Amino acid sequence: MGILFTKLFSSLLGNKEARILVLGLDNAGKTTILYRLQMGEVVSTIPTIGFNVETVQYNNIKFQVWDLGGQTSIRPYWRCYFPNTQAIIYVVDSSDTDRLVIAKEEFHAILEEEELRGAVVLIFANKQDLPGALDAAAVTEGLELHKLKSRQWAIFKTSAIKGEGLFEGLDWLSNTLKSGSG
Amino acid sequence: MSRVQRITSANGRLKNLMNQTDNRICADCGAPDPKWASANIGVFICLKCSGVHRSLGARISKVLSVQLDEWPDEDIDAMIEVGGNSSANAIYEAYIPEGYSKPGPDSTHDERSRFIRSKYELEEFLKSSLRITSRKSSASIQSSFSTKILDSFRIKSSKEPETVVEYIGLLKVKVVKGINLAIRDMMTSDPYVVLTLGKQTIQTAVIKSNLNPVWNEELMLSVPQNFGPVKLQVYDYDTFSADDIMGEAEIDIQPLITSAMAYGDPEMFSNMQIGKWLKSEDNALIEDSVVNIIDGKVKQQVSIKLQNVECGEIYLQLEWLPLDQ
Repeated sequence: MGILFTKLFSSLLGNKEARILVLGLDNAGKTTILYRLQMGEVVSTIPTIGFNVETVQYNNIKFQVWDLGGQTSIRPYWRCYFPNTQAIIYVVDSSDTDRLVIAKEEFHAILEEEELRGAVVLIFANKQDLPGALDAAAVTEGLELHKLKSRQWAIFKTSAIKGEGLFEGLDWLSNTLKSGSG
Repeated sequence: MSRVQRITSANGRLKNLMNQTDNRICADCGAPDPKWASANIGVFICLKCSGVHRSLGARISKVLSVQLDEWPDEDIDAMIEVGGNSSANAIYEAYIPEGYSKPGPDSTHDERSRFIRSKYELEEFLKSSLRITSRKSSASIQSSFSTKILDSFRIKSSKEPETVVEYIGLLKVKVVKGINLAIRDMMTSDPYVVLTLGKQTIQTAVIKSNLNPVWNEELMLSVPQNFGPVKLQVYDYDTFSADDIMGEAEIDIQPLITSAMAYGDPEMFSNMQIGKWLKSEDNALIEDSVVNIIDGKVKQQVSIKLQNVECGEIYLQLEWLPLDQ
């Protein structure tokens, strides 16, 4: 009863919390996205060895956003962060067409994990500011998103540098999380 | 071969390259012990510079960690083909203005960023005919085309602005060893070799307390159309005072380049002698220096008696890499 009451109360006040993991290959733009969301600024980044975690308050949801390093040998450690995750933001460098296949493989490997069974998936087709960037349809095809069954997902074209598309994505995420069970 | 073995040997090749002396400092800021690399450019860089490289986009610079990433074979092959930081900088910084100050290990992000963009994205220090022409206007394609025609007729254009240097090839100098070098400290010396061609200067590592040092170090010089001799100087490294000279010599590279050009593509020929730089009163040669085609490469062994010094010999191996194909 107590717990139920607290949940009801906080949701009436709009104090919902969500744990989000930002994943993707190295140099997809995960850290730039995190700090763009949190501070509204473009920061100069170095490769993330380990993780960054920040809280982003948006649409009455307190997002706890975990940005995990994307280098090959770090990726196996992503799973340590999977429990209790409500959403994955999967970031793709849309201009790095050579590695889209690897991005797809990592993406589907993550979603097979039991602990992420209930997580919703937001895909950012990032780096739209770079020449030759694939559009959302091409990234959808490259990631083989049609293979996703019984999972809520959405893809947005983004440019973290220009600040485009990120909050549209968060809008979708907050609406989806509010309407869902999480 | 199993997958594990393949990865190990591939990583071994990459680590060997990383351990080469010129790759022990960042190609862009000189910070020690770089652990990152741009696979398509072929340079080893530090963590801070890798951040800037990544911001250029993967099409300009494909950044990987030597330790944290699994490298595709073709990326390792590409790194090995470039040959490391000295070779890459001989191209990307061939035309760096005199007095230009490169960023250092403690430079700010902005200083680093400005330099790295100039160097790789804008290719400001690259000689004009090596500039990537595909994304530039047709004017630059035309100019590199006409440069080629000029090259093939060996005509020196006097109309060319003085600042534009056209390079005809790369000279790889392997500094093999020194013998019986002069003493400049109490009992011994800490020798290193400096090579100068026009405005370019490069040097080997310092070998501590050794009068018969073995460097086996490859240095690369870009050779302009109007090239003179390569100036070789040996110095004794001193921590607290100016370095002392331990002799010098001039290396005439004309016989090497002329015979290489006369034969054209060396891969068409089997191993043979194609030229010779003769020992004379006016040069520092210990013996006649022969130019050979060896396994499709034009090479020359040079043994030099150091001049303006009491004693010392230096052994070199030259290789000519033309730029015109």
